[in-house]
Amino acid sequence: MKRVRELAFRLREPWIAWRAQQIADPVSRLRYLRQATSPTPFPRAPKVMITFAGMAAGAALLIPGHPGNLVREVAFHAPPASVLAGTTQPVPTDVWMIDSRDGQYEIYSNGLRLETAGAVSYQPRVWRQMMRPSLNSGELRHDPVGIVYHTTESHIAPFEPGQTDRLKRVGQWLITYLRRERSYHYLIDRFGRVHRIVKESDAAGHAGRSVWADSSSVYVNMNHEFLGVAFESATQTGDVPTQAVTPAQIRAARELTEMLRAKYRISSVNCVTHAQVSVNPLNHRIGNHTDWASNFPFLALGLPDNYELPIAAMEIFGFGYDQDFVTATGGRLWKGLLLTEERVRQAASAEGVSVAPYRAQLKEKYRKQLAELPASGESKEKQI
Amino acid sequence: MKKESNVPVVLGLDVGTSRIVVARRNGEETETGSQLNAFVNVPYAPMTEKALKREEIPFERRSAELLVHGNEAPRFADLLNVEARRPMTLGVLNSGEREGLAVVRKIVSTLIGDSPKNESRGRIYYSVPAVPLSGGALTEEGLTYHDATVKNLLEEMGFETRSITEGLAVIYSELEDTNYTGIGVSCGGGLCNVSLAYLSMPAISFSIPKAGDFIDASTAAVTGDLATRVRMAKEESFHFNGNFSDKLLQAINVYYDDMISTLIARMKEAFSNSRRMPKLTRPVPIVLSGGTATPKGFRERFERALSATSFPLAISEIRMASDPLTATARGALISALAEN
Repeated sequence: MKRVRELAFRLREPWIAWRAQQIADPVSRLRYLRQATSPTPFPRAPKVMITFAGMAAGAALLIPGHPGNLVREVAFHAPPASVLAGTTQPVPTDVWMIDSRDGQYEIYSNGLRLETAGAVSYQPRVWRQMMRPSLNSGELRHDPVGIVYHTTESHIAPFEPGQTDRLKRVGQWLITYLRRERSYHYLIDRFGRVHRIVKESDAAGHAGRSVWADSSSVYVNMNHEFLGVAFESATQTGDVPTQAVTPAQIRAARELTEMLRAKYRISSVNCVTHAQVSVNPLNHRIGNHTDWASNFPFLALGLPDNYELPIAAMEIFGFGYDQDFVTATGGRLWKGLLLTEERVRQAASAEGVSVAPYRAQLKEKYRKQLAELPASGESKEKQI
Repeated sequence: MKKESNVPVVLGLDVGTSRIVVARRNGEETETGSQLNAFVNVPYAPMTEKALKREEIPFERRSAELLVHGNEAPRFADLLNVEARRPMTLGVLNSGEREGLAVVRKIVSTLIGDSPKNESRGRIYYSVPAVPLSGGALTEEGLTYHDATVKNLLEEMGFETRSITEGLAVIYSELEDTNYTGIGVSCGGGLCNVSLAYLSMPAISFSIPKAGDFIDASTAAVTGDLATRVRMAKEESFHFNGNFSDKLLQAINVYYDDMISTLIARMKEAFSNSRRMPKLTRPVPIVLSGGTATPKGFRERFERALSATSFPLAISEIRMASDPLTATARGALISALAEN
C-alpha cells in the first residue's frame, strides 16, 4: 500500500507543484501544499478497485504528456507543433441507422439507441466560418463541426436498485426542463439512455459565450457550430476517477460520440468539454462554466486526452484564468493551460513584444469579433 | 507593560541563543521586533534604576541588583567589564543559568506583551533547534526539555503553541518561489540548523553545535578578550575577504572558516546517508540566514567552500535570506498563519 501511495503521489506531484505556483499568497500556498502533500489515509478498496487503480497508474505513466512524466518537457521545451493538428483520432468508420420508429427511437449499427420522442426544435443551425489565423469570414454553413460535453449539474440520486423509481422520476423532470429550455442536443441519463432534446438540425443553447479553434477555423459562441451532449451528473473536482457518471453513461456516450463523429465527420480535436470552451467576456477569463473541468473520460469515449490541447480562448483572444478555475480543474487540464501560456509567450516574442501588450492586442481582436456577431444576425447568446 | 487587546493574534517567535525575534502581521505587512537573549547584573542604585526607566531599558529589580536584559545587555556588560549572561546555550535553555527561564520570559513579554493568566491570546509558532547530527553536549532529551519548557511558558502567557525547526522556518520564509523546496540554513549563536524540504514537507533536519558562540569563545581563548567583546567586534567590523592586521579579526576569520567547513561537511554527510532523502528532480536552492551569516562575504565564502566539495545534491543557487536576522520568526509566522 505504501508503494501505491508513493506512486500515486509521484503522479500527482507535478500537478501539485504547478497548482501551488498559481497561488500568489505565500500563506495560502503553504496551506495548499501542506494539504496536498499530507498523507491522506487510503480507504480500503475492493480488490477490483485496486486492480483498476494499478492499471490506471500504469496506463497514466505510458500516456504521452501525463503529468507524471511530462512536467519538465512542458516547462522547459517548446510545445510540440503538432498538438492542434496532430493529436487527432481518425473519424470512426461508418455508423448507420439500422432501425427507427418515427418520433420514438433510432437504433444504430454500433448499438446506440436514441430516444427521440418529444425532441424539440429551436433555431435552424446556421453559422459563418471564421478562418484561422486571419479571422476573416468564410462560407455559411449548416453542419455541426464539434461536440461540447456538459454535465447537467442537477440533483443526483444515489445509483442504487432501491432508488430506481426516484432516478427515473428525476431523469424525466430533467428531460422536460431541458426541452423547455432548449438546452442541449442530447442528454445521457443515469441508466445510459440517450434522449434527444433538440433536433440535430437546430442550434441548442448549450455553449453560450465560448471560444474554440481547430487548425482551420475559430469558433466563437458555439451554440450553432457544436452539438451539445450532457451527462445527467454533477461536476466533481480533483483527479479521482469520477463517481458522478455511471458505466452505462460512459458506454452510451462512446456510442453517441462515434455516431455523431461518423455522421458529421467531426474531428476529435473538436470534441471538448464545456469548461475548455466557456469564457466570460466581462472579466476576460476562461472557465465561466466549469462542468467537466476535470475527470472527463476522453479515453473511454475513444477520444485522445483533449485536456492536453491548448485553450483556444487564451491563445487566440488573450483570455486569462483565475484561482477558481484552477481549483475546479483536475490534474489534466493544467497541461493545456501551461502549453497555451508557452504558445502565447512564443507568439509575443515572435511579434517582438512582451506578453502583456500582446495579450491586449488579442483581447482587442476578440472585442471586434464579438461586436460583429450580432450585426451578422447570428447572435448566439442563449445559455443555460 | 502595555496590555494587548483581546483580539486573538498569530505570531511567529524565534527563540534563539543570541536573539529572540517576534514576527506578526499588520495588514499585508509583516512586522518584526527583536531583543538580544542576554542579561547582565547591575548593582542596585536608585539613580541607576531611575536612569534605566527614563531610557526605557528593560530591566528587573532583584533586591540588591538590577537585571538588565535584552538589547542593552552587552553595552552594560562592556561598561562593567563583565561577560553578559546567557539564558540559553547551544540552542536550548542554559541549565547552568539559574535566571535563564525567568529572563527568557521577561524578554518574550517585552516583545509580545503580558496578559492575565488563562486569557486566550491566539496562536504562536516558536522555533526549536533540530536534533544534532552527531553526539555532543546537546542531546535529544535536552531538546525535548527545552521544547516543553518554552511551550509551557508560552501557554502560560495564553497562547496555543506549536514548535517548528529553525531550518524549516527559514524555508517557509524564503523559498516560496520554489514551492518551499530547498535547503534552509540558520547560522545562529549556539547552533547551525539545517533543513531540507520538498514541496513544504520537511525531509531532513539537523543541527551542528558550531556557530557564533563557538567563534566568539574560540577567538576569546586565543586573544584573551572577553567573548562579549569578540562578539561586538564580530558584529560591528568583521567581513570576509579582508586583510586583517588586527589579531582579533584574524582569529574570527579562522574560526568562521572552521565553522563553514564543518557545516558543509555535515550537510554532505546528512544528504548522502539519509534514507529519508526525497527524489529531487531538479537542483534546489540553499538559503542562508541567522546573525552569524550576516558578515559581508559570508555567502561567497560558503559558496566557494561548497564548490570545493562533491556535494551530493545539485544546487541551483545559494542566496542570503531577505532579512537574515528575522527569517526564522517570519517563517514561523507563515507556518502559523497557514494552519487551518
